[in-house]
Amino acid sequence: MLEFRDVTVFLGGVRILRNVNFHVNQADTVAMIGPNGAGKTTALRSVMGFTRMTGEILFDGRELSTIAPARRPGLGIGYAHEDRRLFSAFTVEENIVMPGQVAKFSAAELAHKLGRVYEILPELREMARRPAGSVSGGQGKMVALGRALMIGSRLIMLDEPFQGLAPALARRYSEALRALRDQDREVTLIITESNPKLLRKFADRALVLERGEVREGSLSDGKDAA
Amino acid sequence: MNTQLFALAIFDGVAYAALVFLVAVGLTLIFGVLQILNVAHGSFYAIGAYATASLGGMVFAAGFSPYLAFPLMLIVAVLVGIALGGLIEQFLLKRIYVKEGALQLLVTFAVFMILEDVQRLVWGVQPYFESSALQALGNIKVLGITYTVYQLIVLPCIALAVLICLRLFLRRTLSGKLILAVTEDREAATSIGIDADRVYLLTFIVGAALAAFGGALASATTSVVPGMGADMIVLSFAVVATAGLGQIEGAALTALLIGLGRSFAVYLMPELQVLVPYLIMLLVLLVRPQGLFGIAQARKI
Ligand SMILES: Nc1ncnc2c1ncn2[C@@H]1O[C@H](COP(=O)(O)OP(=O)(O)OP(=O)(O)O)[C@@H](O)[C@H]1O
Ligand SMILES: [Mg+2]
Repeated sequence: MLEFRDVTVFLGGVRILRNVNFHVNQADTVAMIGPNGAGKTTALRSVMGFTRMTGEILFDGRELSTIAPARRPGLGIGYAHEDRRLFSAFTVEENIVMPGQVAKFSAAELAHKLGRVYEILPELREMARRPAGSVSGGQGKMVALGRALMIGSRLIMLDEPFQGLAPALARRYSEALRALRDQDREVTLIITESNPKLLRKFADRALVLERGEVREGSLSDGKDAA
Repeated sequence: MNTQLFALAIFDGVAYAALVFLVAVGLTLIFGVLQILNVAHGSFYAIGAYATASLGGMVFAAGFSPYLAFPLMLIVAVLVGIALGGLIEQFLLKRIYVKEGALQLLVTFAVFMILEDVQRLVWGVQPYFESSALQALGNIKVLGITYTVYQLIVLPCIALAVLICLRLFLRRTLSGKLILAVTEDREAATSIGIDADRVYLLTFIVGAALAAFGGALASATTSVVPGMGADMIVLSFAVVATAGLGQIEGAALTALLIGLGRSFAVYLMPELQVLVPYLIMLLVLLVRPQGLFGIAQARKI
């Protein structure tokens, strides 16, 4: 459902990704592993259209370069940035529903999706009315996940969701991911992480990014990330 | 200074501040979202004034009610915002968002110069005076001073209404929320499907329409002459910089401060009248470079 074909990305004159090729099947849970600076974030940002790249990215058979970045979430792609990126001018709930409002979901659909988000992440309901600027970093990661769930009916990309989470919160987060997987077996998940152990429990597959190149990895041991 | 003179200075200041606010708030909105200091904003003000005075003249000469001036002002503001503001954003500014600030400033300055000539071509250099709206509402006596209802009550009420509506628009409507989201984080906004280009266009149209509305309202109180756009853009820059760039409520309070400063100067030190707004700005910026209400870091409006 998602395919990179010879994707090369330069940022500031440096080649970050070189001829990256990989294919992700629908309903897969893919762990994208790689050391800091390997280009994981760059790969996800390329799917969203935030990098200048050569090569092709196909989503459900469509070449993404023909689709403006702002229209890509409408294809059912939810993306949670590495650093949360919530809108502090709004409440937590407003942040979560906003992608749905932008996509012109009906009121019923909005309510349904929001209910689903709260089912998977019940703690968000408690902070629904709080200004998004006032939640902690870890809670912010939950909100960012909720926001990605709102629109990501086909593909959800989470960039280092566990980074900076206290162990208890990290456990909650992986529970939430498992709940999501239980609820929706069709959605495709791509999760980047520098520590593959965290994803061993629920990823089907590992892609290892190193020095701008991708290869198939395994989740059974941590060596691939070294 | 006796009580009457004091009250008079306050009335003058408030009426003037209301007009300055309408222009300044559009300027600060555009800066807050697009990060462009739009010199052509002064032209929107002047063209709003010219269009209202000349069209109003025709309408009233044909015997229509002077109260039609108010809907006319609104129509002029919306038209200037969409036609002029929309075109300028689409065909010029859109291309230079990624360029550096100095170049953007030069481009909007060039637009301003071109529009000055366009005004001369369309309306000539003779002054227009069309105060039917002001006269239709008559006078009111407060503290022994007779003042026009239009300036003492209508203008400040409109300014206040614009302030409240703009805040409600930004906070409560989806279009407004999209503007706030793009202002805070363009990439995050795009990644939830917000078309930032369209948000920029909308913001520029709203800002331009506010300036034109200010000009339309001002046309009833003064003669419309060449150069009024330049005067207003300089003054509203002073208000916006003093308040802190991108500060909406701050622009309202600062417009009041500067309006009052100017009107008191008229009575107390007439020779400083023109200078007072800039003295206030200089003083404030020396102490608080980010402006009275500016926050040093986060981008927000
Ligand atoms: N705008 C930019 N200009 C130049 N270089 C950049 C830019 N953005 C990122 N880079 C570089 O690209 C490389 C890959 O960055 P990227 O953020 O994709 O890595 P990552 O795998 O997500 O790393 P991390 O685990 O630290 O999040 C890094 O070396 C980074 O310094
Ligand atoms: Mg990263």
